[in-house]
Amino acid sequence: MRASWFPVLLVLALATALTFLTLPIVAIFVDSSPGELVDALGEQGALEALWLSVRTTAASLAIILIVGTPAAYLLATRSFRGKAMVVTLIELPLVLPPAVAGIALLAAVGPSGILGGAVEAAGIELALTTAGVVVALTFVASPFYVRQAMAAFAAIDRTLLDASRTLGASEARSFARVMIPTAMPGLVAGTALALGRALGEFGATLMFAGSFEGITQTVPLAIYDRFSTQFDSALALSAVLVAVSGAILLSVKLVQGSEALGVAAN
Amino acid sequence: MRLLALALSAAALALAACGDDDNEATAGAGEKPRLVVSAAASMTEALESCGPEFQDATVRLQFAGSDELAAQIRQGLKPDVYAAANTTLPDELYQEGLLSRPVEFATNTFVLAVPNDADIQSLDDLTKSGVKIAIGAEDVPIGSYTRETLAKLPKRREQAILDNVRSNEPDVKGIIGKLTQGAADAGFVYVTDVNATGGDLEAVELPAELRPEVTYGAGVVDGAEQPERALEFVDQLVDGPCADALEEAGFGPAP
Amino acid sequence: MLRIEARTRLGELELDVALEVPAGDCLALAGPSGAGKTSVLRVASGLLRPASGRVECGGETWLDTERGVDVPPESRRCGYVFQEYALFPHLTAWQNVAYPLREMRRSERRARAQELLERFGVGRLADSRPRTLSGGERQRVAVARVLARRPGVLLLDEPLSALDARTRAAAARELEAVLREVEVPALLVTHDFAEAAQLGDRVGVIDAGRIVQEGTATELAAAPRSAFVADFSGAVVLTGTARGGPNGLTHVELDGGGAVTSTDRGEGPVAVSVYPWEIAIEPETEAAHGSTQNRLVAEVLSVTTVGNRVRLGLAAPQPLAAEITQVSASALDLHTGKRVTATWKATATRLVPSETKENQ
Repeated sequence: MRASWFPVLLVLALATALTFLTLPIVAIFVDSSPGELVDALGEQGALEALWLSVRTTAASLAIILIVGTPAAYLLATRSFRGKAMVVTLIELPLVLPPAVAGIALLAAVGPSGILGGAVEAAGIELALTTAGVVVALTFVASPFYVRQAMAAFAAIDRTLLDASRTLGASEARSFARVMIPTAMPGLVAGTALALGRALGEFGATLMFAGSFEGITQTVPLAIYDRFSTQFDSALALSAVLVAVSGAILLSVKLVQGSEALGVAAN
Repeated sequence: MRLLALALSAAALALAACGDDDNEATAGAGEKPRLVVSAAASMTEALESCGPEFQDATVRLQFAGSDELAAQIRQGLKPDVYAAANTTLPDELYQEGLLSRPVEFATNTFVLAVPNDADIQSLDDLTKSGVKIAIGAEDVPIGSYTRETLAKLPKRREQAILDNVRSNEPDVKGIIGKLTQGAADAGFVYVTDVNATGGDLEAVELPAELRPEVTYGAGVVDGAEQPERALEFVDQLVDGPCADALEEAGFGPAP
Repeated sequence: MLRIEARTRLGELELDVALEVPAGDCLALAGPSGAGKTSVLRVASGLLRPASGRVECGGETWLDTERGVDVPPESRRCGYVFQEYALFPHLTAWQNVAYPLREMRRSERRARAQELLERFGVGRLADSRPRTLSGGERQRVAVARVLARRPGVLLLDEPLSALDARTRAAAARELEAVLREVEVPALLVTHDFAEAAQLGDRVGVIDAGRIVQEGTATELAAAPRSAFVADFSGAVVLTGTARGGPNGLTHVELDGGGAVTSTDRGEGPVAVSVYPWEIAIEPETEAAHGSTQNRLVAEVLSVTTVGNRVRLGLAAPQPLAAEITQVSASALDLHTGKRVTATWKATATRLVPSETKENQ
């Protein structure tokens, strides 16, 4: 009986956290009627923003997966001098505020950046273009994936790789046929995190690529553009983003859950 | 190696703490009261220089597009003073009972800004294909002034210029940023913004018949914490240290 | 023929081994953990490159550090069964077995995998994932998997240690059958001398990176060259048939003659095990029935002194090893050919059920 205040404290803490986190989200859906939300969504600019977000996020995810997966595998399975430094550098964008990320991108590949001349000479335009949006999204979201992928690959029992090689598969084949499938739950989780980050990216995009309907105005930028005079439209777009993020999170949980169930059935 | 890491983290934290000098704003007993001022982004440099000179309170400034600041007030936020880059927004808020009767305290000049030694020297030059223009978003004053001005041109020229727009920025700072970075070739801002870049950009004057009347209005927010001091502040936007600072930055006097 | 020579440093361990395994034979390397047993397998398979060494198998040179030859693991045809079997969790049993079959068409792969699984009695589990299989079933799938590609050598890492005691005996018999059938060399490592004795044609005791003695299990148990080998080559294993007897005791008729009693339960074909140091030696007398002391008349085949202990190789008529003190040995005037009685307690007699070839 003496210590019974402690469980109560725990419950209170959870209740507070839950309320604080869910209230704003619920408010998005409740502040306006569903009818108004759907109408606002049908407005031309809103749909363009959604489509642009989908395209740019998909493109950046593709780059992240194709380049990040082998890179994460290397980091997870080999050690070399300076590895800790390399890992820190790759994770750096994780802790950079988005505005700093924007500045960094401008300083690197912006028109006045150190590589700006080279980029222009190659005939590539990044500032104020959709390609620039993809660059910004890739920069801020890749550490989320690479980190998870590294952990997933590192957790694989090394003998699986040994077994694959003794059974006749080269390291490349073993990577594709054994390591990736086995690491899949971790890779999926990493993809979901990166996807969420990319979808919600605002500061770096605005600074690096600008804000123009259909070309660079992704959903977060569209929300910012609308919230002062078209609040319903902003709400509608926010609701869509919440729903999509929620769906992503849920599907990751389901994938991980089924794996966990499978292991538990052992 | 670990000592180095520790030293680096400590230094980083110290720098981060230094960067935040808004911390004197918490008013305790015996300290100066705090005055919160929401002002249009174009007044950033001017107000930051005169804010500390305000005797009766510690002035805490926040800058953004005037429309965003108005939206915050409509949502229930209560700064003490609202100063906008037009008179439309303050008038609307006054009609809605959210602001005191607005005072017109300054004017500004609407210009075309380009990088130094740029080829673009007139509105005509903006109609050429391949020119990249940055303007304000529809609802922010600089954006509505821009569209208002362009609408006075013959339809074909207006359309040609609008077709070259590549970004609708939420405030003047964004437009200036795109210009100084070299991302955009031209942008529509206030002359004060060009002045603030300290020579990185040049302002192209527009024909008198096209120039919009840019009048800045301010008022005391209804329900402000410090209404008397707020009123004082608004007054000295017209005549006082801040009025001087605005003039130095290139603003015109109150009409 | 499999030939391995390897010298290399692994952390604190200096590995220095040389061994040969003829085709169709199985050499079991037995030793404590950290002795370097698994490293020998990794060198053979190409997963570990020694500082200097050679590996030859079936006429092919897989490793020759002097000439710069190092064939990668995927090109050596090794059938390596890992300690925890290393079955791919995302593939079903048949897909695991078919994994090495890259040259075949898809339909053929499934058929061949099914055939192998059937042969090991787990055909019905073809579509199951490894996590749903028991330890014994997984072991069988792992063995089927390495046989799919007809390997040039079999490498087995503690093949039975991951199994519980009950499954182990059956698995041991199956493995024995497999080893008898394949016509390639087999190299097996284990920390359990009895396992090495049962599965290997020859046993090598490995300690601190070196093979300290190699020979048949009986030779090692009877004539250990060092105290380490003596301690390590522990239990003696006799085979026989058991039936329940009075007072809860089990009576075992030993193959080839003689009988013992055990307090363990058992029925049918069993393996009887007892440690050499639990056996006392007495002058020859009549074997008495029904007592709780086992007595077997045996002929001394060898007498080996190890420190202050004496190891006796006996024939009863199955091979038996006893360990007694120097003092007792002198008192008994032991020499080759002398007949003595080996005696030990029924409680020290362990029974392990086993399957003979007839009733598999």
